[in-house]
Amino acid sequence: MSDIKIKSKNLNVYYGDKQALFDVNLELNEKEVTALIGPSGCGKSTFIRCINRMNDVIDICKVEGNIEIDGIEVNDKELDVVSLRERVGMVFQKPNPFPKSIYDNISYGPKIHGKGETKSELDEIVERSLKKAALWEEVKDRLNEPGTGLSGGQQQRLCIARAISVNPEVILMDEPCSALDPIATAKIEELIDELKKTYTIVIVTHSMAQAVRVSQKTGFFHLGKLIEVGKTEKIFKNPDNKMTQDYITGRFG
Amino acid sequence: MNFVLIFLITIFSLSLFFYGRSKTKSLSIQNNIKLNALPKFYGYYLVLWCSIPALVFLLVWSLFEPVIIKSIIIETAANQGAIFNDKNEANLIYEKIKAIHLGTFFGDIDSILKESAISYAKFINLFTNSKIVLIFGIIIASVIYSLKKIKNNNKARDDVELILKGLLFASSLIAILTTLGIIFSLLFESIKFFSVINIFDYLFGTNWSPQRAFVSDASAITAAEYEELKDAFGFIPLIAGTSFIAFIAMLVAVPIGLFSGIYMAEYASVKVRRLAKPIIEILAGIPTVVYGFFAALTVGPFFRQVGESLGLTVSSESALAAGLIMGIMIIPYISSLSDDVINSVPQSLRDGSYAIGATKSETIKQVVIPAALPGIIGSVLLAVSRAIGETMIVVMAAGLAANLTINPLESTTTITTQIVMILVGDQEFDSPKTQSAFALGLTLFVATLALNYIAQRAVKKYREKYD
Repeated sequence: MSDIKIKSKNLNVYYGDKQALFDVNLELNEKEVTALIGPSGCGKSTFIRCINRMNDVIDICKVEGNIEIDGIEVNDKELDVVSLRERVGMVFQKPNPFPKSIYDNISYGPKIHGKGETKSELDEIVERSLKKAALWEEVKDRLNEPGTGLSGGQQQRLCIARAISVNPEVILMDEPCSALDPIATAKIEELIDELKKTYTIVIVTHSMAQAVRVSQKTGFFHLGKLIEVGKTEKIFKNPDNKMTQDYITGRFG
Repeated sequence: MNFVLIFLITIFSLSLFFYGRSKTKSLSIQNNIKLNALPKFYGYYLVLWCSIPALVFLLVWSLFEPVIIKSIIIETAANQGAIFNDKNEANLIYEKIKAIHLGTFFGDIDSILKESAISYAKFINLFTNSKIVLIFGIIIASVIYSLKKIKNNNKARDDVELILKGLLFASSLIAILTTLGIIFSLLFESIKFFSVINIFDYLFGTNWSPQRAFVSDASAITAAEYEELKDAFGFIPLIAGTSFIAFIAMLVAVPIGLFSGIYMAEYASVKVRRLAKPIIEILAGIPTVVYGFFAALTVGPFFRQVGESLGLTVSSESALAAGLIMGIMIIPYISSLSDDVINSVPQSLRDGSYAIGATKSETIKQVVIPAALPGIIGSVLLAVSRAIGETMIVVMAAGLAANLTINPLESTTTITTQIVMILVGDQEFDSPKTQSAFALGLTLFVATLALNYIAQRAVKKYREKYD
């Protein structure tokens, strides 16, 4: 059993009057992939957005309860969000490269965090990140071309490279393959397998097959509640909860 | 007379609607057939067929009637022994005859004019009567035609759609033709101007003083006169003044407008935005003449006082005052346009930037603004074309003398101001001075057209990227 990296305790989230998460208690292990599954609107994305405080961006969103990363409270008002997000990277549902060159897309993060003072250091970071995201071979000759000109799958790997450019400890992925075709999806899944050696990964997915393929631990959310969590094998073979059973066999959702 | 006719045509054709509707209904019941369209379409069909040909005829007739009568009258007057040497004198005689007919002529009436006035009255009568007869003929013919069609159960719906399409097309055609007409009149007058003044002397001359341009006979200008003339129509000071004032205006409007646009789009809460945006847009609703006297009566003298207390000579009409006020006028254009383009930058880009740890201002500076840049440039270019075409503020506050200067405290002048100055008051229409206004207008038109075109291209390019 690996160490616990992220731990949430009685996490409640409200969007205005509507409560989106109810007393979520979840532990995520270090250097492991945790998949969060559940029907649309069940709070999976809301949960991972709590980990890097992306919910701050939404005016009406209110978070109560605790989330700790390595024992440090994330919801602490005093916490520096910038350095939190340096430690916790995020990849979104739709690839969202900046309207800049491939190189600038990757060097954006390091520059913001004051890493890579010289050009050669930056070059190195860009190359390393792109290599880790398995994109280097495809783009090394056109680093100055716009990132928006890449294919959807390449764009998503570019976004992954962007996320790992600042050396995070955790990577959050919010349905990273939902806008991609099966081949591009396979590439990303392969990449996730590789990345988990270095990073703690949380992935939200609608594809149960994907959860089985990439994750070691799975949490099932329904209507804002964490219904069941456990080893992926167990969740998909013999879940304790009837609702989990119904969901993974496609009876609802 | 025409109004009575239009009224009658309208009433008559509208009443045909009810006739057509009930007629087709009863026809379908009588003969037990299925109509090709709803009964009301047969009503519309009758209305359109009965009104449009008659109204179009009336319009065309009214356009040509005066011209034809005039030429006939002038000819008969000449045959009766009236003497006139050129077109202007002929026009004068025609106006006299008309005035006699209307009973508004005071003066000696000689027998020739009297005779002509009588024949004028005859012609007017003849034309009016034949107009009425023809219109009724047209209405009867078109009613017979359309009734016959209806009885044959025509496809009234398709026909009505076709006629409506034609009407809409005609409207857009009128808009286009008007534009073309304006362009051509600008062009022709400008060509007259450029046939006197060499276009290069105009474009590159550095002295503008058209009030000096006295020509005894515009059709025969001597070489010596031309030397004088070409010095009076140099475009450079005007374009310099115009660009200079527009530049000052942009110095004011671009930062303030852009920053307030960014604030509205990125920082303001919904409440603040809902309150502040209309208030900023009020600025765009203030008539330019109000800005003008504000610039001329308040800001200009204020600058002069401040300047004097600092030991500077400031003219009370200065490029600075005009540019500053013009800039304030333009703020809402830039702020609301850039607010719109910034808002249409997808949220996912901002999320991506926040997620990597960028702050709000870093995100705006490095992601949002670059993404919105083409749209922002477009809005600035639109504002520039607004600035160089602006007239009232500069007429009142910038000054009249065409100084070639880059000192913002001196007075300078613009293209629009000079057009106003040239065309105010009595004009000889064949003097180069008057025609130069058209040349200026044409130059201004080409400049703003080019700017608008570039601006629209920029905005369009931006849209393609994010839709």
